[in-house]
This record gives sequence, C-alpha cells and structure tokens, in this order.
Amino acid sequence: MKRLLTGLACLAVALFLAIALGEQPIPPRAVMAALLYPDEAPVQHVFIVHTLRLPRAVLAALVGAALGVAGTITQAVMRNPLAEPGLLGINGGAALAALAIMLWLPGTSATLVPAAALAGALAAATAIYALSWRGGIGPQRVILIGLGCGAFMGAGTSFLSAFGEVTAVQRAMLWLSGSFSGSGWRAVLGVALTLAPLLALAWIFARVLDLLAMDEAVARGLGLRVQAARAAMVAIGALLCGASVAAAGPVGFIGLMAPHLARRITGPTHAALIPAAALAGALLLLLADVAGQNVIAPNAIPAGIMAALMGAPFFAWLMWKGRHDG
Amino acid sequence: MSPPRLALWLAGLAAACLLLALWSLGVGSLSLSPARVWAALVAETPSREALVITTVRAPRVMAALAVGAALASAGAIMQRILRNPLAEPGLLGINAGAAFAMVLTAVLTGTAPRGTLIPAAMAGAAAASVLVWALGSAGRRGATPLRLVLAGVIVASFLVSLTQALLIFNLAALDGTRLWTAGSLAGIQPQELASVLPWIAAGLLAALAALPGLEIMGLEDDAARGLGIDPARWRLIAAAIVVLLTGGAVALAGPLAFLGLIVPHAIRLASGAGFRALLPLCALGGAALTLAADTLPRALAGTDIPVGITLALIGAPIFLWLARRQGVPG
Repeated sequence: MKRLLTGLACLAVALFLAIALGEQPIPPRAVMAALLYPDEAPVQHVFIVHTLRLPRAVLAALVGAALGVAGTITQAVMRNPLAEPGLLGINGGAALAALAIMLWLPGTSATLVPAAALAGALAAATAIYALSWRGGIGPQRVILIGLGCGAFMGAGTSFLSAFGEVTAVQRAMLWLSGSFSGSGWRAVLGVALTLAPLLALAWIFARVLDLLAMDEAVARGLGLRVQAARAAMVAIGALLCGASVAAAGPVGFIGLMAPHLARRITGPTHAALIPAAALAGALLLLLADVAGQNVIAPNAIPAGIMAALMGAPFFAWLMWKGRHDG
Repeated sequence: MSPPRLALWLAGLAAACLLLALWSLGVGSLSLSPARVWAALVAETPSREALVITTVRAPRVMAALAVGAALASAGAIMQRILRNPLAEPGLLGINAGAAFAMVLTAVLTGTAPRGTLIPAAMAGAAAASVLVWALGSAGRRGATPLRLVLAGVIVASFLVSLTQALLIFNLAALDGTRLWTAGSLAGIQPQELASVLPWIAAGLLAALAALPGLEIMGLEDDAARGLGIDPARWRLIAAAIVVLLTGGAVALAGPLAFLGLIVPHAIRLASGAGFRALLPLCALGGAALTLAADTLPRALAGTDIPVGITLALIGAPIFLWLARRQGVPG
C-alpha cells in the first residue's frame, strides 16, 4: 500500500512537471492557481494548462500505463524477460497501415489514422499468431515469426516512404516516431474508455499470467488450459498495445522497461505487478515526453525517440547484469 | 562435396551471374536484348549503346554483384562463427550501425551518404557488432541464438529511432537519404563504386584466405583450441572481415536485410555443401540474387523499386518458413 502511494505521488509530481515546463514555463504557484481556481487565474495560463498541456500529459500517462501492462503480459506469455510487445508485430502493422492512410488519403488523416493503426496492429498480431501455430504456439517460435513479419512490414513501410511526397513523409515520420503533439481532451477520453476495460481484464487475469510464466508442464498440472490462456492473454496485450499505437504512434522500449522496474519493487506476482507496471509505464512515458519537449527546446523530440534513448542504456544494463537468461 | 560437383556448382552460379548481368545491362529506357548487349560490348567501334551500357548501367550491375556477394558471405561467416542459424548483418544490428553512422555524418557535414562515407560506415558497423556481441553474450549461458538475435533487434531498433530523430529535423537530408535507407542502387556513380569496391574485395579475399580457421571456429571452443586455433583471436578476425564486407555493402546500397540470412540457408539446402565450399558459393549466389532482385521490377513493371524492399519481400517469407520448419522448439 505504501509503495502504491509512493508511486502515485511520483506520478503526480511528474504530471505537475509536465504542466509547468514547456516552451513557456509557468511557475508552480501559477500552475496550482490555474488548476484549482481556473476562473481567477490569467487566461493564457488557463489555456496553456487546460487545453495544451494537461490533456497531453494525461494521454502520455495513459499510453505509458497501457504499454507497461502490455509488456508485462508479453514477457509472461513468452516466458522471456527481453520480449517486447513490439515483437508481436503490433508496431509494424500499425505503422504500415497508418502510413498508407497518411500518404494516400492526406485530407482525412486526422480521423482515419488511429482507426487504421488499430486495424493494422490487430491484423499483424493475428497473422503472427496464425503463422506461429503448429499444434499450439510456443514462445520462441512466436518471437522469431514476429521478427520475420516485422521485417516484412518494415519493407512495406520503407517502400511507401521512399515513393511518397516528401513533406507528407516528413509529417508521417513524426507520427511514426511516437509523438503526443497536438493531443486534446477528445483523444484522452477515447483512449481512456478503450484502455480502462482492458487494463481491468489484465488485472483480473493476473493469476493466469502467474501460471503462464511458469514451466508449461507445471501450468498444465495446475489445471490451466495453456493454449487457450495464451491466446486470451496475447489478445489482451495486442489490444492494449494497438490502442496505444492508435493514440500516439509506435512507442518502443516502455513495454520492455516498465515491467522490469515494477518487478524490482513488487516481485513477480502479477496481482501486484500489473498495477505497478502500469504506474511505471505511465511515469516513464510522461517523463520521456517532458524531456523530449524541453531538452533542445524550442525543437521537440518525439516521446517515442526519447523513450528509445532512455531505454537502450537500461536494456544494456539489463543484459550486462546477466541474471536473465534468454 | 566432391571437387567435380563443387566445380559444377561454381561454374553454374558464375554463369548465372554472367547471364543475369547481360540481361540486366539491356533493361532500361533503351531496351536491348542480351545478344545486342554482348555485341555492343565486344564491338571495336564504340556505339551509343555501348556508351549507355558502360557509363550508366554497368556501375549499377557491378554494385549489385558486389553488395550481394559481400552480404551473403558476411552472413555465412557469422552463422559459422556464432554457431547460430539466424545470424546475419541485418538481424544482428550491424547494418543499422553502419547506416546510422553514415546518416549522422551526412547530416553533420551536409554530404550525400552513398559511397563517400566509408570510414563512418566501417566505424558504425564495428561499434554495433561489438555492442551486440557484448550484450548478447553477457550472462550465464552466453550468446544463445535467441538472446543474440534479441540483442541485435533491440540495438537495431534503437539505432533506427536515432536515425529517424536526425531526419525529422532535416528535410533535405530526409529527401537525400530515404531511398538509400530503404536499400537502393538507383543512380549509382562510377566513382562511388570505385571508392567502395576495394574494401569489399579486400573483405572477400580475406574471407577466402581465412577459410580453414573460420571452418574450425564452427566447432566448440575447446575443440578449436585442440586444433591449434585461438578462439578469441579468430573471433576478432572474423568480426573484422564481417565489418569490411558489411560496411562496404551498406556504404554502397544502404542497409539490405535478409540477404545474409537466406542465401547461406538456400545454398546449404540445395547443395549440401560444407563450410569451405559454402562461402564461395554464397558469394556467387548472393551476387546473382541481388542482381535479379534489382533488375526484376524494372524489367517486369518498368518501376524502379529499391532493391532492399524487393529483397525483404522475398526474404521475409523464406525466413518465416525457416523459423517454422526447422526450427525452434517450443
């Protein structure tokens, strides 16, 4: 309980930072005023806080939480601590579908891109699952098939970006590197409504994840229908990840980092691990977005790239430690 | 593999390269049959056709052959040394390292990446291979195939997002590099080819010279030591050869994936060759495949699709088939 409260406090501090920092910094007192008494605060502060920064920060936290949980699920199902939800082909499929829409139907992109990304993500996840099936799916085969499908879709993506109109490609690259710029309350509401039931489901099935992370024979001995459970968990993970990609573009490394951080705090039991991973993911992606907006201001680095910049050293440390054998 | 059979295979693949080259030299807005190409090449009086062939088309054909030979050989060497059927420059992040170093240099200095930035390509390839090996082999069980591939994929995805970060802020560099980052041989210049070719040739010759040692490195370390081979030293030699081959190929054609993976597997399956015969066969087979993949879209549809994309569209299904077929338990 104490740990949960500490985590929530950290998240609150990060949210506060995200609101206060930016191209036009707002002093802490003024942030509080704009948050608590919007009617009396200066109009430009209220606009910056309520219309520009708060929805963006909330969206980053939501997407981060979803990615953290998706990563936890992926690592449990694949029984591999280095597995990442991107390996399920979700990022590749979403990127391909979204890029196609952005380049071919430039006018309608704002509304269609999230839908296309979600459809692409789910199609890719389904294809990888089907291709990995040989009387059941095995973790190692899924990883390899995911890599192959990812490369295939990557070739499609580079085909589109090599022949598209160059300014449209540049805009698409911004989306492809995972960015929260220009997100408003409508996006937040849509994402929250999609993610909430999925996060709840993941938490409800925490026991199943505990069993799946064990040796297959043990799980079966304890009465788990392993293949059905794997399929259900992969579906939840794919939906979580697909919804995040639809909201913010493909963001890597959060799904790899958050579960590890959470595991250090709560241990391997998923009932505690899933909320902790959600918190850790929210915190990480929020900090990545804040850092990206402020490191080389006025230029903004997309959150996805910042997450990769933070994630790579983390990953290096993880592999060096050598405790985790793949 | 018996010597006559090996000679037959080598001759067959070399002939395939030659025929493909004659065909490819005739493909383009001035369409020529292979016989006309041959006639133009051997004619004593230089014709307009001969001029087109030697100045515009020949550099591209030679680049395709060189890049294919380099990457397929690099893949064969890596699979042997790492005792890992999935090893290849693309999956293990070496391509991405070279490409990132070149894009970085191109953005900083305002030059075009292709052909001119060989030191950057070599340095990037070397740094990425050291990093992936260090990460993949740390730990109790060492560099298991899956672990190494995961390390390669994660390093590669990190480098690719860094490359993206560089290009987002620089429209001119994006326009100048996007064809090359997809892996393309279009519009290659003779001087670009000339500046890269010596490196690839050096890598190929070194690989041939090192064949006996590389073959022994396919055994367990203890067995290799018993045969008088120092594993650490030979791993370094192999890495240097792979860096020469990969860095050169990426400098010319961009990061081509899958070539190093599928060619050795296909040749091994088809011919049953052992490693010593495999390496030269792979060089010829990779050259032929790359040339075919580069020419086919232009010949069939008249559109110039980057060869990296064609190769990935061919290679990814073969990779999937390999992973399903032999593969991996569990």
